[in-house]
Amino acid sequence: MRVVIAEDDPLLREGLGLLLRAESIDVVATADDAASFLDAVAREHPDVAIVDVRMPPTHTDEGIVAAVEARRRQPGLAVLVLSAYVEQAFATDLLATGAAGLGYLLKERVGRVEEFLVALQRIADGGTAIDPEVVEQLLTRRTGRGALDRLSPRELEVLALMAEGLGNAAIGRALVITDGAVHKHIRSIFAKLDLAPDDEADRRVVAVLRYLHDDAGR
Amino acid sequence: MKGHQAAVLERSAARGRLGHAVARGLRHAVDALEQILAGLATAVLALVALVVVLAVAALCLVGVGLLLAPGALRLLRAVADRERARVSRTERPLPPGGAPPRTVREAAHALVVRRELAWLVVHATFGVMIGLVGLTLPLWVVQDVTYPLWYRLTDHAPSVVFARVDGLGDALLVALVGLAFAVAFVVLGPAIARLQSWPGAALLAPLGSDLSRRVAELVTTRAAALDAHGAELRRIERSLHDGSQSRLVAANVLIGAARRAVVRNPAAADELLEKAQTATEQALAELRSVVRSILPPVLDRGLAEAVTGLAAGSPVECVVEVDLASRCAASLEATAYFAVAEAVTNTRHSGARLVRVSVRTDAGELRLTVADDGHGGADERTGSGLSGIRRRVAAHDGTFRLDSPAGGPTTLEVRLPCGS
Repeated sequence: MRVVIAEDDPLLREGLGLLLRAESIDVVATADDAASFLDAVAREHPDVAIVDVRMPPTHTDEGIVAAVEARRRQPGLAVLVLSAYVEQAFATDLLATGAAGLGYLLKERVGRVEEFLVALQRIADGGTAIDPEVVEQLLTRRTGRGALDRLSPRELEVLALMAEGLGNAAIGRALVITDGAVHKHIRSIFAKLDLAPDDEADRRVVAVLRYLHDDAGR
Repeated sequence: MKGHQAAVLERSAARGRLGHAVARGLRHAVDALEQILAGLATAVLALVALVVVLAVAALCLVGVGLLLAPGALRLLRAVADRERARVSRTERPLPPGGAPPRTVREAAHALVVRRELAWLVVHATFGVMIGLVGLTLPLWVVQDVTYPLWYRLTDHAPSVVFARVDGLGDALLVALVGLAFAVAFVVLGPAIARLQSWPGAALLAPLGSDLSRRVAELVTTRAAALDAHGAELRRIERSLHDGSQSRLVAANVLIGAARRAVVRNPAAADELLEKAQTATEQALAELRSVVRSILPPVLDRGLAEAVTGLAAGSPVECVVEVDLASRCAASLEATAYFAVAEAVTNTRHSGARLVRVSVRTDAGELRLTVADDGHGGADERTGSGLSGIRRRVAAHDGTFRLDSPAGGPTTLEVRLPCGS
């Protein structure tokens, strides 16, 4: 796997590089701002780009803008956006470019290396990884209103994992239930929320997040 | 030889003073031009409003005008409020006039409306005239100074049309006249701007003046306090995010990597842990500095000791004189502490040999003075921390005075009401 890293904090940039190289992941370039990141992507054609949200000059949302731009220039580029805090509005901006090969995670998730590598691999393979914190924000805003209340606690857990981008097998492992049980829950969720059932994880994550997001405002 | 050197130094110091004076003059002239332009805009508005008000007044004689009067009163108030806002930006804070009277009867009893009408007449006439004069001068400057570039088009120079212009020599003379106009504007511009704002400042100020003025001032300083508060919160958020938080994230990542490496490559694990430890140490150091910037722990022992501590760390020899009758609010003492800290730090670049710091409470005020014998020229606009200190002081309803002419000396005087 070939990776480009855009992170303005030298210590974290180096730390990420060390960690990935130790896992035999090929870090082909590092950048400390949006412009040099876009250059590196154009030059190296990496499999995955890892981007920090806050970068110079304004330290606000340069990383989001750069990630969206990189995916526009190189369709199919997998992007993992890392951030010190998650903002559901940023997730919405990113998801507008499609959920395939997209990740949006809190920086500290990197510390749980095994899980982080699984998420990174999923993104590289065209999957999705949305931080549980974002899903949590969406679910909290929705609680007590509308169709979500008809879901059982277990179904809510399954819904959250779907929103994070996990596939059926991974959901089964996470909740220690069989594949068949996962299928049953998902069918039930889609029926209760009035969504068309879909087994493709990345189309499913878009449907679920859009449902949560669109309904959140009401 | 020594005398010669001193003379050279004196001359170069004099040149520096002159350069400073010219730069300040130009800055004030540009400010004045901006004010005159804005004043002309409100004067033209006033002229339009005056015509409308007169027309409505005439129609009142035949009855129809009474229906139109509320609209005219609203217009009057709106135009006056524009002038109030303009004068507030440059001269002194004037609160908006509030809701206009709804009927002619109400308006006839309102002294504010009568004063607004008086202002309307003055500003619509003299205001427009002064504005045009103030604008003509800089216009002539531009035309005359550039005249040598286009003197072939006309042999009558702008602003000196009575004289014929023959050749480049005369055109250059016209450019000199332009420069003279420029000097005239630098000298007169600020006075013209003040003259133009004067009717507004006098007639649009709230009545029952002292109390209302105090309210107006409090409204402005409260806004400044909220601004300063917001800026402070942003600064703290930024330094926490850029400092401690990112160090901790890095430490977290390094620890994660080390745990993976423990089995495969213990030596590498140790190296990673070493880096992680450095990162946490940096995080702690940054946390300490953020905490200190919010409320310096040294203030726990009182402002006197804190200021003495600052003097001990001063780059220049520092004499401290403290006379405090009582303690003030913590945020006030912090503001005083940062003001002294900033002023003392700035002496590093001033070439001063001695700094005198005086802090005392007097008549319910915390008064502090920092004076050095350096070469002066401190300017809060050139990105020093002084503008932040001024905002902080203003937020506490205090006064901030910086006196630092080129050539020195520099004196900073801060007074903070200490409500005890």
